[in-house]
Amino acid sequence: MDRLKKGEVNMAVTFKDGVILGADSRTTTGAYIANRVTDKLTQVHDTIWCCRSGSAADTQAVADIVKYQLELFAMMNGKPPTTQTAGAIFQEICYSNKDRLSAGLIIAGWDERHGGQVYSIPLGGSLHKQPYSIGGSGSTYIYGYCDANWREGMEEAEAVSFVKEALKEAIKWDGSSGGVIRMVVLTAKGADRHLYLPDTDYKVRHQ
Amino acid sequence: MTSIGTGYDLANSIFSPDGRNFQVEYAVKAVENGGTSIGIRCKDGVVLAVEKIVTSKLLKPGANKRIATVDRHLGVVYSGMIPDGRHFIDRARDEARSWRDTFKTPISTADLASRMGGYMQAYTLYQSVRPFGITAIVGGFDSTEEAPVDGEVGSGPACGAGGKVAGKTHGGPFLYMIEPSGLYWGYYGAATGKGRQAAKAELEKLDLGGPGGPTLTLEQAVKEAARIIYVAHDDSKDKEFELEMTWISGADGPTKGCIGRERLSVGEKALDEDEDEEEGKEEKMEE
Amino acid sequence: MPGFDFSNYNRNAALHARGVPLPKATSTGTTIVGCIFDGGVGIAADTRATSGPIVADKNCEKLHYISPNIWCAGAGTAADTEFTTALISSQLELHSLSTGRKPRVVTCMTMLKQHLFRYQGHIGAYLVVAGVDPTGTHLFTVHAHGSTDKLPYVTMGSGSLAAMSVFESQWQPSLNRDQAVKLCADAIEAGIWNDLGSGSNVDVAIITADKTTLRRNYIKPNERTAKLRSYVFPKGTTAVLNEKIIPKGDLGKFISVEELTEEGGDKMEVDT
Repeated sequence: MDRLKKGEVNMAVTFKDGVILGADSRTTTGAYIANRVTDKLTQVHDTIWCCRSGSAADTQAVADIVKYQLELFAMMNGKPPTTQTAGAIFQEICYSNKDRLSAGLIIAGWDERHGGQVYSIPLGGSLHKQPYSIGGSGSTYIYGYCDANWREGMEEAEAVSFVKEALKEAIKWDGSSGGVIRMVVLTAKGADRHLYLPDTDYKVRHQ
Repeated sequence: MTSIGTGYDLANSIFSPDGRNFQVEYAVKAVENGGTSIGIRCKDGVVLAVEKIVTSKLLKPGANKRIATVDRHLGVVYSGMIPDGRHFIDRARDEARSWRDTFKTPISTADLASRMGGYMQAYTLYQSVRPFGITAIVGGFDSTEEAPVDGEVGSGPACGAGGKVAGKTHGGPFLYMIEPSGLYWGYYGAATGKGRQAAKAELEKLDLGGPGGPTLTLEQAVKEAARIIYVAHDDSKDKEFELEMTWISGADGPTKGCIGRERLSVGEKALDEDEDEEEGKEEKMEE
Repeated sequence: MPGFDFSNYNRNAALHARGVPLPKATSTGTTIVGCIFDGGVGIAADTRATSGPIVADKNCEKLHYISPNIWCAGAGTAADTEFTTALISSQLELHSLSTGRKPRVVTCMTMLKQHLFRYQGHIGAYLVVAGVDPTGTHLFTVHAHGSTDKLPYVTMGSGSLAAMSVFESQWQPSLNRDQAVKLCADAIEAGIWNDLGSGSNVDVAIITADKTTLRRNYIKPNERTAKLRSYVFPKGTTAVLNEKIIPKGDLGKFISVEELTEEGGDKMEVDT
């Protein structure tokens, strides 16, 4: 049996009030879709989340470890961790185990000091701070779209629409991307989940 | 000393019936005989100063520093037993280093004080050790800017991130004092050692803890610190001393975020001359 | 000679160089499923165990006990599913005893995934974890590499495609107990009929807050019936072409018997 591969398209985008994460929901084993409603947006602290792509087992294990570390950090220091702290812990794990892991992660978070931030950790375990980041096999199809349409300081509705349109495009062209579109909006108000179904052409926000 | 002969002062991990740990109290005595150390938290930085008693004319002036750099933004000064202070500083450097290794970002002054407070406290618990014979003053300037993560590739995007809480400031100058019991508090101005009473009286005259924060600038505080060390020095009993000082400011402050350090010896120059000397030397900084 | 013995490694390397493939473990080419319903969860499995092209066991058990309120259906390497579930069951019971609480399904799932992740897929256990605990009804899948999924209906094993087709066409958000059991059994049957690795009977376990019901051989669609004809052949059906009789005394001509001497070793002591 092939290893479960996942995260065929995902992204995180900073906007005026914070940051938005978005992802498709397809998990595959070879040619078979093992899960068509996967949740690839994983919470590692109150307003720090990550998009997982690559091996499902590896990214789940890494996210579980970081989640534990950040909870410990918050308890020991009496203050919530920053997105940078999360990025640093993710990077340490990804870099020191780079021979054993196939994990591509985007870390996005909101904190009081820095506002919304996006960090990307690609396969080798390097850490990149970006205004927005795209990942997974489907991302190759939307580099042009994102480059042309991303703007600094978008309103929340604009940013949600930008993420959705980009993901729709990736789902359309990439065979290993598909299913529903999930989003998480991270601002001073906390985390807000969005769900869009293909049944309604991703037009209606559910739940 | 009511404790003598009772036996309750012989071991670290035994309380006296009225709830005291005599070993810790004896450690405080060791501190009270040490040269005066002070710290001042001012508007744009922190100053640390110490009265270093010259115990022998055979000692080279300026040797055996009493103020130590723990990280790029952190300094420590202490009164009491010098070897204990050296060990304290070694540990503080280890803590700062391990924080950087784990979180890829500098340790905050508060977190270092917390870690070192915990470390000192542990030495009051066990038979095999004795409490530290020092009181340490930890001064630091936590970055007010957004610091990049160590090991991050490149310098990040040019545009700023959205959703910051408007008007909220972060970081700034901080000052903590840790006692042999492990007890520590944050201070506007701190003094310990032989001349602490006189030094505290002088510190209380300064405007350090107003509702709008201190108005004293780093430049003024450096002069005040030097003056206070002189005031606290007891000419009649003590031998000669060296004044050792350090100061630190934010990235846009007088020291550009680096630690500056000067040492001035007494008996050779008048106090006023020292102040002029310092102003002139502020350019010379140590990283 | 002291130290480690690497002769087996050398033997294996030599065999590998000659193109001899590694031996295959018994694999439960399997259909297993699970489905949440109103008030509980049901899991089901077929009962065929295979070893390559051979059916190793026609009525094996693939539903494993974890705790009274948590059960697992296993696919993949039979020994691995058996021992992994037994190990976690044991650890979970000790954990339950020390905390004084009922075991939770997420705890079981987390222990399984961390155990399997540590072994990097070398433990070939693919599991459906189902149960009811004080926090509610739960259904998970755990793959051999340590990844997990949480879904209202799941299938695993070689027959998972056939079984999933049943769920995808007949599942609905609200099911009662009987509907869910029927759906699970139908999904397993789809595996039994359409997947070569699956066969024989259907086992079902139904877990609710009150109790767990294990229905061993809930459906037996492959019952062996009496043979229509008799396949006993009369004596003499096979012709005797020649016959040779060797008397007992002449055995020495064909085999040699030597007495062992007792030199070079102590005689074994035997208790009387």
